[in-house]
Amino acid sequence: MSDLLISAQGLRKQFRSGNEPVTVFDGLSLDLGRGESLALIGRSGSGKSTLLNVLCGLEWPDAGSLRILGESFEAQSHPHGRAETLWGELRRRRVGVVFQETNLMPALSLLDNVRLRSRLANRDETPCRDWLERLGIGELADRYPDQVSGGQRQRAALAMVFAMQPDLILADEPTGSLDRRTAEEVAEVLFNLQSRHGCGLILATHDTELAERCDRTLDLGHRQAR
Amino acid sequence: MTVFSALTSHYRRHPLQLFALAVMILLATMLWTGVHHLTSQARASLDQSEAAVAERRQVVRADGQPVSVTDFAYLRREGLCVMPWLEVSGPDTGRVVGIDPLAAACFGTDTDAEAPWQGELNGQPFVDISEATGRAGGQASLSLLIDRSESAEPMPAGYRTAPFSVGPDTGELGESFLLNLDALGVLVLLITALLVRSVYLLGLAQRRDSLALLRRFGVPPRRIRRLLVLELSLLALVCILPGVWLGRLLAAMLGDGFGRALEGLFDAPLYAGQGGGWLMPVGIMLAVVLAACLVDFLGPMLRVLLPHEKSRRWWPPALLGAGLGLSTLVESLPALFLGVALVFVAVGLWLPGLIGGFAEARARRTRDPLARWRYRELSVLVRRLALPLVALQFAMAMVLAVQALVTTFESTFDRWLAQRLAADFYIEVPPQADIDPAGAWLAERIPDAGGQWHRVIRGTATLAGGTEGSDTQVDVLAIAPVGPLVTDWRLLEATGDAWPKLAAGNGLMVNEQLARRQALDIGESLTVRLAGQTVELPILAIYPDYGRPAGELLLGAAILPTEFSPTFRSLSVSPGAMSIDGVTSQLRGIWQQEQLTVRDNRSVKALATVIFDQTFLLTRAMTLLTLVLAAAALLLMGWVFFSTRAGYFRLLVVWGMSRGQAARQLTRLSVTLTGLVALLALPLGVWLTWVLVHRINPLAFGWSLPMAVYPGFWLELGVLSLAIGLSIAWLMRRQLLHGNPAPAHANASIGGER
Repeated sequence: MSDLLISAQGLRKQFRSGNEPVTVFDGLSLDLGRGESLALIGRSGSGKSTLLNVLCGLEWPDAGSLRILGESFEAQSHPHGRAETLWGELRRRRVGVVFQETNLMPALSLLDNVRLRSRLANRDETPCRDWLERLGIGELADRYPDQVSGGQRQRAALAMVFAMQPDLILADEPTGSLDRRTAEEVAEVLFNLQSRHGCGLILATHDTELAERCDRTLDLGHRQAR
Repeated sequence: MTVFSALTSHYRRHPLQLFALAVMILLATMLWTGVHHLTSQARASLDQSEAAVAERRQVVRADGQPVSVTDFAYLRREGLCVMPWLEVSGPDTGRVVGIDPLAAACFGTDTDAEAPWQGELNGQPFVDISEATGRAGGQASLSLLIDRSESAEPMPAGYRTAPFSVGPDTGELGESFLLNLDALGVLVLLITALLVRSVYLLGLAQRRDSLALLRRFGVPPRRIRRLLVLELSLLALVCILPGVWLGRLLAAMLGDGFGRALEGLFDAPLYAGQGGGWLMPVGIMLAVVLAACLVDFLGPMLRVLLPHEKSRRWWPPALLGAGLGLSTLVESLPALFLGVALVFVAVGLWLPGLIGGFAEARARRTRDPLARWRYRELSVLVRRLALPLVALQFAMAMVLAVQALVTTFESTFDRWLAQRLAADFYIEVPPQADIDPAGAWLAERIPDAGGQWHRVIRGTATLAGGTEGSDTQVDVLAIAPVGPLVTDWRLLEATGDAWPKLAAGNGLMVNEQLARRQALDIGESLTVRLAGQTVELPILAIYPDYGRPAGELLLGAAILPTEFSPTFRSLSVSPGAMSIDGVTSQLRGIWQQEQLTVRDNRSVKALATVIFDQTFLLTRAMTLLTLVLAAAALLLMGWVFFSTRAGYFRLLVVWGMSRGQAARQLTRLSVTLTGLVALLALPLGVWLTWVLVHRINPLAFGWSLPMAVYPGFWLELGVLSLAIGLSIAWLMRRQLLHGNPAPAHANASIGGER
């Protein structure tokens, strides 16, 4: 298997605002290797979240080609049929997604959230509690999301992602709603685990310090890779 | 910007939510107005039809000769208020009744409904008597109707009064049915109130954030509540008027068939259609809307009365106990209705807790985290949609009860008709005529023609020593010969060979009401005084006699003493191969009477069946309409509510489920929800049927219908709940498939509830 997790060429994404097409990005290309981390930066509306959605198959590019974890996808208006099944399989087992909020089911305890995510990924559910322990929230395992702090919720979201043993993690402002100190703690956990498990990481963030911890950054505002 | 405009600004950003609220109020108004209008129209129409066919009095000649215009002129000159009724029938004219409105002017208006001769004579067959005379090429018969108030007065020499009837008297069967319709109308109003209340709460839930913001800006909560009430009242005013109009339109559309049936039956435009005022439905709906909002103000009072959470928990069982106790034990209709209301309130309070408890228990028991999530979502869904779910449960219970009730009424009505109108024709025996030669002739000829007959003698008797130790006067129905016209009656309880023993004079039968009141059982002996003679006879059977609360004994005519003075005598005849004209002609000859009163029971039966079928159809349509509205309310509110939970289903898609799989989770959720509601509606529906049949009817009329439960309806209800659940899932699925792909805002507003 190639060490290249993502290879995207000439991606274009447009929305319609009324009758006017609005281009979010056009001619965008990027690569990501195993164990590598990439920060997507840029002002609000520059297309960071949209690009992450495209990279996990929740949205579809209007043009360009995408090869991700060995599977090739061509541009089309909506993912359906085999492409949708394939994307589903990738997200289920190999691509972990973390959002700024809404990563947990409010009706389930933190432990049950991790178990549910593992079950969907067909992973062993036994180490779920261990993952919560490793993320420092083992004693909160039976609490519900609304009974813990924002930082603890994001740790639980990371526990869910790592419990599924992903090849690639896509994180959209994972520390955006946290205070500075908690954000640093969560980021620490994220980068530690990512480097220990050798999975790829793409991070959309406004936080320049967080972006600088990544191997590379891609400024979508100026489309400039460093 | 004022506080009010800040409050309503929510709807400027979310016009669909405002539309949903408006549609709910409009539909709820339409439903109740439609049901109310149909019920009142059905009542008015049945009243009118009964008035049209109700037994009146006529003046006949004592010598049995038909009355003529000379008799009319003589009686009027004697100062009697009589009116000519000329009935003409022929192949070309059909049935035409000529009446004289001028002569009818002296008739009192003591009946509730308008008599057919009042008002304009623009309908067939009621025409002016001069016109009827012109058409009298076919058979014509003149009758002289007398005003009720004068019928008790002594008649001039040579004349007497006699009953005059043109159709079936449904007795209290129709009244009973209408009382049940009224009870169901109240239930529909309750469901409507629940729907309006749920709409109001939904409006609050949608704007929780905006309201919190206003409070933070220093606006007092009381002012916010007042403004919300004002807002809803304005919205209600705007929606109630078209709702009432639509309800009346709906009632007119549904009632059209009913009206046609009535007109076909009585040949007169009896169905009032668009009559009735607007003020009452508008006023009642406004009151319902305001009550739905103002019930919140009771909250603080309740908290004062019941300060502890624990004491509030005892409310539903306490209400249920009180309701069940009242509805089982009391002997007054208002208290019984209060009991029913209490049971419904208790069940309504309990439903969310019951389903929530079930979901929580299942969630705890299962090891599958996906199933656990589904049960927990179910629990949230039940809490958020509690009111429309309760409304749906009530509507389902009502449908069950009405289906069972209507089916019971239908079969009862069929049996009632079969019992009352067993023979094809009914011939009244003139007062002075000797019934025996007529009986001998019928006994000789009718069986040979493959027909059946019996004579009926009615009178009164006295039962010695009833339950209260005193003598009781009862009606007597004596029949001879005892043949298939009666032996096909359904008996509630009977000894072996009841009919042969009755024919042989070795016993008697009692009607259900007498058996109930005197606590009589088969096999017991009754001491009966008939025309001064005392006989002791065993009870052979108890027969149903729906709609007739008086006690009655059925005897073989042979045991009547010769001194027995009948109040009425008739012959019931199914002539078989013979023509009824041949029979009546022979009887006229035997009795030397020019005119006989003959009623065609077949046409009476057919017409009565048509009118009742239409009434039953309407009732079913109304209840189904209620169910459709309750389902639509759940659909609409489920759709609005789901917009706050859709994020979690999208999370499943993010975690690798296909949208189809996530939608299937949604379908399982909604079908489980509606299925559980249907399951809980089942006992409530059966209980409501029991109350209507065994409590309300006996209390109101002193008699009871047989109660039947129809498991087929339960199955239908199951299918219906499945259809509602699938519809909700389909609507929500559209949101899931077409919405934002990422669950970015699922925690906003109330979406984070667990």
